[in-house]
Amino acid sequence: MPADDVLTLRNITKSFFGAQVLHGINLAVRRGEVLGLVGENGAGKSTLMNVLGGVVSRDGGSMELKGSPFEPTSPRDALKAGIAFIHQELSLFSNLTVAENIFIDELPTGPLWSVQYAQMRAKAQEYIDAFGVEATPVTKIGSLPMGVRQTVEITKAVIKNAEIIIFDEPTTSLSQKEKESLFKLIDRLHHEYGISIIYISHILEDVFALCDRIAVLRDGSLVGVDDRARLDKPAVIRMMVGRDLSQVYPKVEKTIGDVVYEARDVVQGRAVRGVSLELRAGEIVGLFGLMGAGRTELVRCLFGVDRMESGQITFRGRKLRSITPEDCIRQGMAFVTEDRRQEGLFMPKPVKDNLVAVGLRHMTGLLGMVKRPQETAEAAKAVGDLGIRVQHPERQQAKSLSGGNQQKVVLGKWISQQPTMFILDEPTRGVDVGAKHEIYEIINGMAKKGATVLFVSSEMEELMGVCDRILVMHGGKIIGALERSEYHQERIMHLALGGRGS
Amino acid sequence: MDTITARTSTLGRLRSFVLSESILLLLLLMFGAAALFAPGFLSLFNIKNLLLQSVDIMVISVGMTFVLLNGGIDFSCVAVLAMGSVFGAWTMARSPVANTFLAIPAGILMMVGIGLVVGAINGLSVVVLKMPSFIATLATMMVGSGVAVWFASLVAEKASIIGLPESFFILGGDQGYILLPVVIAVALALLAHWLLSTTLFGRWVYAVGTNPRAAFVSGMPVKRTVFLLMVLSGLFAGVQSVLATARNQAGIPSLGDRVFIDIVASIIIGGTSVFGGSGSVIKTVYGVLFITLLNNVVNLLGIEWYVISLIKGVLVLVAAFIDVFSKRVDLVQR
Repeated sequence: MPADDVLTLRNITKSFFGAQVLHGINLAVRRGEVLGLVGENGAGKSTLMNVLGGVVSRDGGSMELKGSPFEPTSPRDALKAGIAFIHQELSLFSNLTVAENIFIDELPTGPLWSVQYAQMRAKAQEYIDAFGVEATPVTKIGSLPMGVRQTVEITKAVIKNAEIIIFDEPTTSLSQKEKESLFKLIDRLHHEYGISIIYISHILEDVFALCDRIAVLRDGSLVGVDDRARLDKPAVIRMMVGRDLSQVYPKVEKTIGDVVYEARDVVQGRAVRGVSLELRAGEIVGLFGLMGAGRTELVRCLFGVDRMESGQITFRGRKLRSITPEDCIRQGMAFVTEDRRQEGLFMPKPVKDNLVAVGLRHMTGLLGMVKRPQETAEAAKAVGDLGIRVQHPERQQAKSLSGGNQQKVVLGKWISQQPTMFILDEPTRGVDVGAKHEIYEIINGMAKKGATVLFVSSEMEELMGVCDRILVMHGGKIIGALERSEYHQERIMHLALGGRGS
Repeated sequence: MDTITARTSTLGRLRSFVLSESILLLLLLMFGAAALFAPGFLSLFNIKNLLLQSVDIMVISVGMTFVLLNGGIDFSCVAVLAMGSVFGAWTMARSPVANTFLAIPAGILMMVGIGLVVGAINGLSVVVLKMPSFIATLATMMVGSGVAVWFASLVAEKASIIGLPESFFILGGDQGYILLPVVIAVALALLAHWLLSTTLFGRWVYAVGTNPRAAFVSGMPVKRTVFLLMVLSGLFAGVQSVLATARNQAGIPSLGDRVFIDIVASIIIGGTSVFGGSGSVIKTVYGVLFITLLNNVVNLLGIEWYVISLIKGVLVLVAAFIDVFSKRVDLVQR
């Protein structure tokens, strides 16, 4: 390998449960460079870094670090070899001090394993001075702002002789000032210390400001890597999304009516910063955005699963006073959560119990006793209508079904209530192609009957195929909207990345 | 890995049956072994004893089953026994209504009422203050036990309160009404079973115990359900207090001192999962019968009392192991 390459990845492949996630990645990282790594959600960035960091094992290909083969079997191996990972969620202990954190896995000990605090503090002070950490060795991490904590984490990495530092979305919780400090530090790291940096971020301006080269991943393949000077933002976006709309999406004839759902100025923490939207009867509206845009937080607020700080919801002409799942359901709304295992299904319970979970309160008779025949009939109907492949719904546990069938069970429990407003958060995630198509048809069917659908997804393609309108979120706000006639992959991605400039 | 489960092979079905109905089989085995090896087991006197003894913890165990179905625990039920007994006895023997026709109804109301109040306090602690049931009920248990002892010392010369109306004792099987407490216990167990297995509330209890987040998103009233099941546990403990006080024919502040282990063991050995979401009143009933049988047999055989602790401990471990094991295997539900 060339003298100035510190890391070489050759033909790295990886599959999870039969689905291939990385297709033969060939990438080299040069000594002392800052390499930007960009790509949509699901492009494979995290998986690739996890392979590099020893978190998951690769299926095929090879890695070379400083000329020797590199096969980490655990994060510890990667750390020892000189690869440090600075995640979004830092790995510091907030109840311990700066010095303790820096030396956490190599605490200086004396007789009888007693920790040499004075020695530790002195050494920590040296590093604090060298890296400009705005804290003292005895400050507790918990009392420091995110930016300073990050510097401590970076310091930790450097003193462990890291040769490569990977930053994963480092600026999401930083203020502008802290960001500038980080950039200055990164500058020093690669100029003064000769450390190579892999910088993963959705914020293209930052990537262009910092990086010497930029690598673009798409659908698990490396689409291109080039010097920053030879690239511009539109070119990068084109590489990120450029694909043929190969899948054919089911079409449906329907009419779109008046506005039935209105949300005004919904706010929740830093995730949802004032969102307003209007939805019509029979409309399927897509909500696109990259990780951290606030889509899931928004829809959870709309259904009352999480509490919104402020905002006004009007549904079918009525201002909703209290917003809880119970109330929303009573008004005729439904919500398919992002995580069906944790919040969508009762995994150890039979499919039948899951299918009637929402409608059960309408199947009671005298003294609150549940009408079993009605329960069985409704469950059977859902199984039939949605094509759920299950032999014995009253006995088979939900966890025994395939992902696609599980998702259909979740949809089934809501559809049987005939809601007029449907919020779906990643309804086709982890679902095979065949079932996905069936789910699109189900969604179309509901819209045809006049229901309103809000469809959150990270897959631009499916939104473009199914939705009448796409709203794009970024940084907690709806930054743009496109009608069907205006659908354009690069334009949508551009908006999702912040939309500024062109 | 994602294989369709329904184990239709005979061996598979047998295995499922054995695992889910293990308590019933164990009970029958125990009964058979006792009939064969324990001297005097099959006498009328002993059987009568067995029935009455099983009543001692039947109602309170059935009540606590609700809490365990939610993955929680109720330490305070035994304190309800003590407080109920003491305050109830006082009502019937020393209060202004003592020696009137109101004595017994007021006494019963007092005992059941205390159970209700303690249950409500637990419920509020868990639902509103978001305390784990372990801590909340531990606290009420400690306070309650203390209050019971304090109050008894206040109103009685010896540690217990005597002088209760004689007709009250029929609730304890006195004066030929041997089966009355058994009938009451069975009726309450049937009520609880009906509640859990046929009503909407019962479905909510199982759903919330399995996955409270999914239950919440599906529009089930999670907070209300948890509150109610804590109240039920207290209520049933209150009723048990009535039966216990009638049997002992006195208000005893130390009532329930040593039965907590038997209560919990009955429920767990019976097959209700400590993780919540699976189990039933029927299982608890079998569990209570089993524990009672165990106590009875050990007594008849003259085995030292500490051996029984060992046996119960091992059985609880086995039951817990079966619980965890059956969750990994794709089993037929309930």
